Amino acid sequence: MKKYYTLLLLVGLALRPSVVAAQGVAAPLEIIDGYTNTPMEPAGKWHVHDPGRPQPEVITPGATFSQGAPAPSDAEVLFDGTGLAKWQSANGGPAAWHTNGDYVETAPRGGGIRTHGKWADFQLHVEWASPNPPRGTSQGRGNSGILINDMYEVQVLDSYQAKTYPDGQAAAIYGQSPPLVNASKPPGEWQTYDIIFESPRWNEDKKLIKQAVITVLHNGVVVQNHYELQGGTDGINGDVPYKTATKYARPHPPEVFIELQDHTNPVRFRNIWIRSLHLGSNL
Amino acid sequence: MRMHLKIILPGLLCLAALSGCASKTPVVVRSQALPAAAPVPAAPKPVEITINGVDGFQDTPLQPDGKWHVHDPARPQPPIVTPGTFSDQATPPSDAIVLFNGKDLSQWRDKATGGPVGWRVVDGVAVSAKGDIQTTNQFGDLQLHVEFREPTPPRGGGQGRGNSGVFLMGRYEIQVLDCYSNLTYADGATAGIYGQHPPLANACRPPGEWQTYDLIFNVPHFDAAGKLLTPAYVTVIHNGVVAQNHQAIRGATNWRVPGKYTPTGPTGPIALQYHNNPVAFRNIWVRPMPVNNEP
Repeated sequence: MKKYYTLLLLVGLALRPSVVAAQGVAAPLEIIDGYTNTPMEPAGKWHVHDPGRPQPEVITPGATFSQGAPAPSDAEVLFDGTGLAKWQSANGGPAAWHTNGDYVETAPRGGGIRTHGKWADFQLHVEWASPNPPRGTSQGRGNSGILINDMYEVQVLDSYQAKTYPDGQAAAIYGQSPPLVNASKPPGEWQTYDIIFESPRWNEDKKLIKQAVITVLHNGVVVQNHYELQGGTDGINGDVPYKTATKYARPHPPEVFIELQDHTNPVRFRNIWIRSLHLGSNL
Repeated sequence: MRMHLKIILPGLLCLAALSGCASKTPVVVRSQALPAAAPVPAAPKPVEITINGVDGFQDTPLQPDGKWHVHDPARPQPPIVTPGTFSDQATPPSDAIVLFNGKDLSQWRDKATGGPVGWRVVDGVAVSAKGDIQTTNQFGDLQLHVEFREPTPPRGGGQGRGNSGVFLMGRYEIQVLDCYSNLTYADGATAGIYGQHPPLANACRPPGEWQTYDLIFNVPHFDAAGKLLTPAYVTVIHNGVVAQNHQAIRGATNWRVPGKYTPTGPTGPIALQYHNNPVAFRNIWVRPMPVNNEP
C-alpha cells in the first residue's frame, strides 16, 4: 500500500524464548511494516494491517500440485498464452500487459486488466510468479492481486522469506484474513491459486442476505477455508477509504469480473481458467 | 455401500441386513440374524427399481428437502465434465502426514479387527481386499489428498462397478465408484456424500487412469448433552473439479437411510472401504488443518 510507519517487534523473543535463552543472545530486532492507527478487525483483537498479528506458520508446499493444470471441459480459458482477448484494461481500453510465451506480465503503472466475462459462483485457477531476483520489501515486493469485481482481493505478493503485515501477505484476503499458513514458493517459481468463490447476495431492498465466501488453495495447501468476507477489501475503491474497516457498502449483481492488479511490480501470470459453479444443485 | 443390491433378503432379515451395512460382510450378518427370529415386525423387502437406466430406490425415506428419496434413481444425474490432469502425484507439503507413499500400509489397520490389513501393496499401489482399513491416527479438521484407480476392464454396473469409499472420521463417506460411462443413483455417484449429496459434477476419468480427491473436512461439534451444534462440512475437488463446496453433511452415511448424527469426539480415523471390488490407491497424505490465525 501507499505508505507505512514501521513498528519494531521483538518477534524472535516473543516466539522462541527457549531458543533465545539457550543461545544466550539477544533476539534480533525485526521490522514489520504495518499500522496500528487503523480500525479494529471485527473480532476486536487486531487492527487492520496490524504488524503485531501473528505471522502464519511457514511451510514448504509440495513441489507440484496443479501447476500447468489443463482446464476442465466446462471451464472458460481466460489466458493460455495466446493473447488477451478475454481481457480489457480497468478503464475499458485494450489490455496493455505484455505476453511472452505462455505468460503475461503486468505493465507497471499501466493499470490492471479485467475480464470481459462475469461469473457468479465460480472455481478459478491462476498461476503467478514473483519477480526474480526479488526487489523491495513488504508490500513493495512483487505486489499484485486477484481482484474479484475490483472489490474482493486475494493478495499476490512475494512472501517467501519476506514478511509483511499478515492480513496483507500472499494468499491473504487483503486486510481481513491472513492465510492459515504461508505456503509461498521462491520468487521466479510458478505458484498456483485454486479459488472457490461464492458471490455475495443482496435482496431487493439492498439488504445483504449472503456474504461473499472464499476458499483458497495456495500451491495445493488450504489457506482460506470457506472464509466469509467482511465486505470489500479496503484501499481499492474510492468509496471504501484506505485503511478503513470493510463492509458491503455497494450492492452489485452476483455476476462479477476478475481483475489482475497492477501494483507497480512486474508480476507474471499464466494458465488462467474459470468455471461456473451451480451451487445448491446437489442439496 | 456395504450390501450389494441383488443379495438383500426379504422380511425379518432385512433389519439385520440394514444394521449389517456398518458391519463386515453380508454373510456374517445373516448368520447372526437367524437365531434372533423373535416377533419383530417384518420390514418390507427393499424394492430396487430402474428409471431411465438408473438402478435405485424410491421405497426409502425422503431427503430433508422432501423432493428425492435416498438413492432415488430419478434424481438428476450430475453433469459430466471431462477433467484435465490436476494434482496427480502431488508431492505432500512439509506439514503433511504421509499415510501411504507406495511402500507399506504401516499407518493403517483393519477397521473391523484392529489387526493387520487385508490389503496388499503391489508395485507401489495398495489394492482394496478383504475388509475396510483405517488409519492408526485420528484427525480433526483436515486437508486430505487421495489418488485412486478403478479396475480395467470395468466389471459390473451401478454400485457394483469399482465401489470403494473414503470415510472421514470413519463414518462420513465420500463415494469412490467408477462412474465413467456407468449410471447409478446420483447420491451414490463418485464424489457424492453417500446417500445425501450428489457431486456438483461427474468428473470421472476412465477406469485404469489415476484420479485425485483433494478434500477439506471440518468435524461436527456437539454440546455436552450430545446435541449437534455444527455439522461436519466437506469440500471435494475431484480431478481438479469442485464436486462438493463446503457441503454440510447430514450425519453418518449409510445404505438406504438418511444421514444421522450420533455424538463423537473431536477426532476420528480416515477409513478406506473394501466393497468387493479391487480399487487401487496411491499417494495419500493428510494435513491437520491449522486453526485460523487468531481472527
